[in-house]
Amino acid sequence: MNYFWERRGEILACTGQHLVLVAVSTAVAVAVGLPLGIWLTRHPRLARPVLGLAGVVQTIPSLALFGFLIPLPLLGGIGARTAIVALIVYALLPILRNTHAGILSVDPAVVEAATGLGLTDFQRLRWVELPLAMPVVLAGVRIATVIAIGLATIAAAIGAGGLGVLIYRGIAIVDNRLIFAGAVPAAILALAADGLLGWLGRRWPGGRAAEGRAPA
Amino acid sequence: MGPSGCGKTTALRLVNRLLEADAGSVRVFGRDVREEDPVGLRRRIGYVIQEGGLFPHWSVANNIEIVPRLLGWTPQRRRARSEELLAMVNLPYGEFAGRSPRELSGGQRQRVGVARALAGDPSLVLMDEPFGALDPIARRALQREFSGWKSRIGKAVLLVTHDLEEAFRLADRVAVMQAGRIRQVGARSEILDRPADDFVREFTAGNLDPGERPSGRGNPRPA
Repeated sequence: MNYFWERRGEILACTGQHLVLVAVSTAVAVAVGLPLGIWLTRHPRLARPVLGLAGVVQTIPSLALFGFLIPLPLLGGIGARTAIVALIVYALLPILRNTHAGILSVDPAVVEAATGLGLTDFQRLRWVELPLAMPVVLAGVRIATVIAIGLATIAAAIGAGGLGVLIYRGIAIVDNRLIFAGAVPAAILALAADGLLGWLGRRWPGGRAAEGRAPA
Repeated sequence: MGPSGCGKTTALRLVNRLLEADAGSVRVFGRDVREEDPVGLRRRIGYVIQEGGLFPHWSVANNIEIVPRLLGWTPQRRRARSEELLAMVNLPYGEFAGRSPRELSGGQRQRVGVARALAGDPSLVLMDEPFGALDPIARRALQREFSGWKSRIGKAVLLVTHDLEEAFRLADRVAVMQAGRIRQVGARSEILDRPADDFVREFTAGNLDPGERPSGRGNPRPA
């Protein structure tokens, strides 16, 4: 413990960098994946190829993807930007897939009633489909966040900082304590994010339905 | 009315433009529906489906007030309307308005579905097998009440059913459909006494309880 306490400044700094990497990439993945997932529900013919492509990209080993990105202009290079691009790629699929599946899982009778009563496309999406799909969408965000927290440790390999820095250094000098100094906070972050987003997801359907809230 | 797959639901969905006609036209109160904005058209036509299709994340009152909300009614007017309609369908406002659809029985959900369809004061209401998913007891109860609602609200109702008894019990005029075509339109007595063709004769004969047959014991209900 003493060892960790002496290095608290460094550990905190790395944790901060780690959080920035994860937060930025997950936020962008939501900003892209949510609308794209919705759009795919309106264009079912494109859903299969797009989801398939996203699934294939997901299978590229993360270290290899970081490597592929380095020589690219704009997106690539050494540093946090490249790492964020790679993390977005990995966070995108769960969000995209869950948004798409969540909206399609809404009871067709409810969608039919909403349309038949005269809701516009956007009203139906905003008031009916998205709220009902939200637990599934949030589950996707949760998976994406946990994946990003884990993968962000590898981002240190291309100089993006984060808790991976401690782990790589620990490996290099064969010091398990240093490896733990990176790995333990990363694990705690992952568990905390998982718990928080899981709690949000559980709270969503029951709580909202009981209140029976409608848009003002 | 007609057997499964004869095009009843398709015909109904053409009216509020959930489907578009490939040929021909649909007129509602003299106006071709294709010349109207589908969203506005649907807000002026009530719609009830078999499964109810209530929004499960909204309370009963919010479900009923959706069309008034879309039409921009004031909260007071919406509230008054949902109180009135819940009273009509025998669900006291104080007890049911705040409930979630999950806390209702199948029959209660369909009552709310009917109230929701009427909320915007439409001049025409479409009902697609509104009582089809209910158990026989709940179905009979709603069928009995339906006649009362119909006379009270004074609206045209276009109801689809595969159940001949239901059709004759609820409707003033019945159209018998088969394979996408209307075989006969008329009141109960016309269809039973003077079937237009063999299909109508067999369909009506095979579908009725003995007590409902034209030659059966008296007391034919006015259809």
